[in-house]
Amino acid sequence: MTARSLEGVVLPRARATARRGSPLARRRALMAYVFLFPAVILLAVFTLVPFVQAIVLSFQDWDGVSAGTSYVGLANYKFVLHDTVFWSSMRNVLIFGAAGFLIGNALSLGMAMAVNRVHHGKAFFRTAFYLPGVFSVVVIGMMFSWLLAPNAGILNRMLGSVGLSGLQHNWLEDPATALPAVAAVFLWYHWGFGFILYLAGLQDMPVELYEAASLDGARGWATFRYVTWPELLPVTAIVSLLTLLGALQVFGTVQVLTNGGPADHTMVPTLRIYEEAFTNRRFGSAAAMSVIFGGALVLLAVLHLWFSRRKR
Amino acid sequence: MPIPGVAMTRRRLLGLAAASAGAAFSGPVLTGCSKDSSSGGGSTSLTFMNQSRGQVKALEKLVETYQKQTGVKVVIDSPGPSNFPAKLQAKSQSGDMPDIYSTLTLSEMIPYYKAGWALNLEPQLTGAWKPNFSPTALKLTTVKDGTVDGLGAGIYSAHWEIQTSGLLINTKSFESAGVDPKAPPAATDAWIEQLKAISQKSGNGAFLMASSLSPQFLLTHASNWLTDQEINATLAGTASWKSDGWRKGLQLLAELTAAGVIVNKALPGGNGDNPTVEKFFFNVQDTATIFDGSVAIGVARATAPDFTEYTSQGLPKATNGTQKARVSGGVGKGACINPKGKNVDAALKFVQWLTEPEQAKVFVDMVGLIPANPQVKESDVPAQVAGFASLVDTLQIVPTPFGADARTALISGVQGLVLKEKNVDQVLEEMDTAQKRAK
Repeated sequence: MTARSLEGVVLPRARATARRGSPLARRRALMAYVFLFPAVILLAVFTLVPFVQAIVLSFQDWDGVSAGTSYVGLANYKFVLHDTVFWSSMRNVLIFGAAGFLIGNALSLGMAMAVNRVHHGKAFFRTAFYLPGVFSVVVIGMMFSWLLAPNAGILNRMLGSVGLSGLQHNWLEDPATALPAVAAVFLWYHWGFGFILYLAGLQDMPVELYEAASLDGARGWATFRYVTWPELLPVTAIVSLLTLLGALQVFGTVQVLTNGGPADHTMVPTLRIYEEAFTNRRFGSAAAMSVIFGGALVLLAVLHLWFSRRKR
Repeated sequence: MPIPGVAMTRRRLLGLAAASAGAAFSGPVLTGCSKDSSSGGGSTSLTFMNQSRGQVKALEKLVETYQKQTGVKVVIDSPGPSNFPAKLQAKSQSGDMPDIYSTLTLSEMIPYYKAGWALNLEPQLTGAWKPNFSPTALKLTTVKDGTVDGLGAGIYSAHWEIQTSGLLINTKSFESAGVDPKAPPAATDAWIEQLKAISQKSGNGAFLMASSLSPQFLLTHASNWLTDQEINATLAGTASWKSDGWRKGLQLLAELTAAGVIVNKALPGGNGDNPTVEKFFFNVQDTATIFDGSVAIGVARATAPDFTEYTSQGLPKATNGTQKARVSGGVGKGACINPKGKNVDAALKFVQWLTEPEQAKVFVDMVGLIPANPQVKESDVPAQVAGFASLVDTLQIVPTPFGADARTALISGVQGLVLKEKNVDQVLEEMDTAQKRAK
């Protein structure tokens, strides 16, 4: 067990860390647990307890106001299984997931590589591309509502003013364009996050690898395939997981822009759960939907991490 | 590099950690135990959680007058129409319900009534308070025994407004298309012809309705073929949505779609659908006619006070109806009193004061509503409201509320109907299935 300094001098690791089982190590571990204790308590109160409560609630009937709840067995799950809107919302969210995962990641990586190559104005691009993510989702939603409005919308007016009135469209209320339009807004809002992480990863890459690849005759694609991509794999794994989960949990963008319409064409599970709980006042079936959807997300995250680790 | 004098010893670190943990625990506990500041001081203070955005200014003016007269302070909390239901529900859960709060539709309020969050006002309303309410208003607010499972008979809310639904007409748009806005169409056929003429002029339709108002639209038009008893039987789940009356009622929307008169060829949906429609009508003014409730006049006065070139009228009767058409509506804005509040008597007195003729007149003048108080003169009602007010005598008296499941299916269904993805029978089938599934 050794640690290597920058100068190549080998240091015994025992000097840097206390020996396992020693009194010093035990005291350090105890102190760490003391520091972790408040966080664990907060985690238990605000995450674990509500999580367990949601599972319990999924077997109960509750209108959100009454003091009492009654156990209904699997009735809520049966209800959800026959809820066509919920299952179509699951299909819709897969489109969001695919868009976030594929297009979002590709866009973030592509733009990060482009910005990494520029010599001047790097800070400007970094700020400009990350800026949308700083705004509140309500601001973004309202902004694009005005932009995509059918009559007074900026986009349609612009199309009309340049003689392309044939392309004017009711973007958010036509089933053919509603989902792509909301997905596009979602991507525009979120891609800056992946971009920043990719850019940080690229800036952290050793120049020597590129120099060696260049000496070996590697050109653009080969450099990306055999140097950039493998070195970026850890960043890619975390960015893709976060963007995928973010896309699958989309709520605010959809709620402000279309609220699931027209005729449920942009309905997503989070919104359906919200509607079931706060509009239909069936918190039990809303909890059952949450358990099913949450379980699917956990499964997906585990699969993704497993796949990423295997690739590494 | 350690800062001199503030070296982190182990004891100091442990103390800091314990202090952090203590703060994490004590913060919420202390907050939860803190005394409600609104109840502090010597004078009585009431909180009124208001849902209406159109009545905020009138309420603020009235509470100011009330404070001058009685010394009782009433704080108006207006989270907005979209946030109101969720906020009220959260308050019921935290046990922090306001002294007074706006009522929504009966189906939305039932859980609150059942949970004991609304004072039964029936004993008071049979006494000196009764003349402040028209017989229709009292009939519409009375919950009869057996109508709602688990809820006793009574009157759980007091209303200063009666609401009807019908059409709002932009007189300029009508005139510019050569259609006389003062001559209501004899029946739906003539109405569709009017709308076609206006659509030709506008190039983008002439009629719009929020999907969330489709229950009122359907109830109103289906009454051309269905009695109140038949409507009530369907809402109660003892008759089918697939009957001929409902089919003919919903068919009007299909006919409007086929005629190409629906603005943007789609019905807005979601929480903000009606504000969107009202924005098109009152603010942008690019929509000639909308189907809306009479409460819209209050919204117009609050958001577009300069726009007055519009009138209201009922939905035209059916060309081949078998019944006298009746309008879907009910009581409009009103209030419930929290019986578990600290100042129940003061809250009751304030609501009683709010429904007196002088205050009803303020609401009529500032908001433009149809007053529930029969002592307000008909001549006091503004011109724009007159069409809606004329429908009060034809209000449907249907005790059973529109169920959430059938409502959700209808709202989604009418959007599909206008998008030509579904037909009338499919929508009614979905409503029937949803209602049965919920039972």
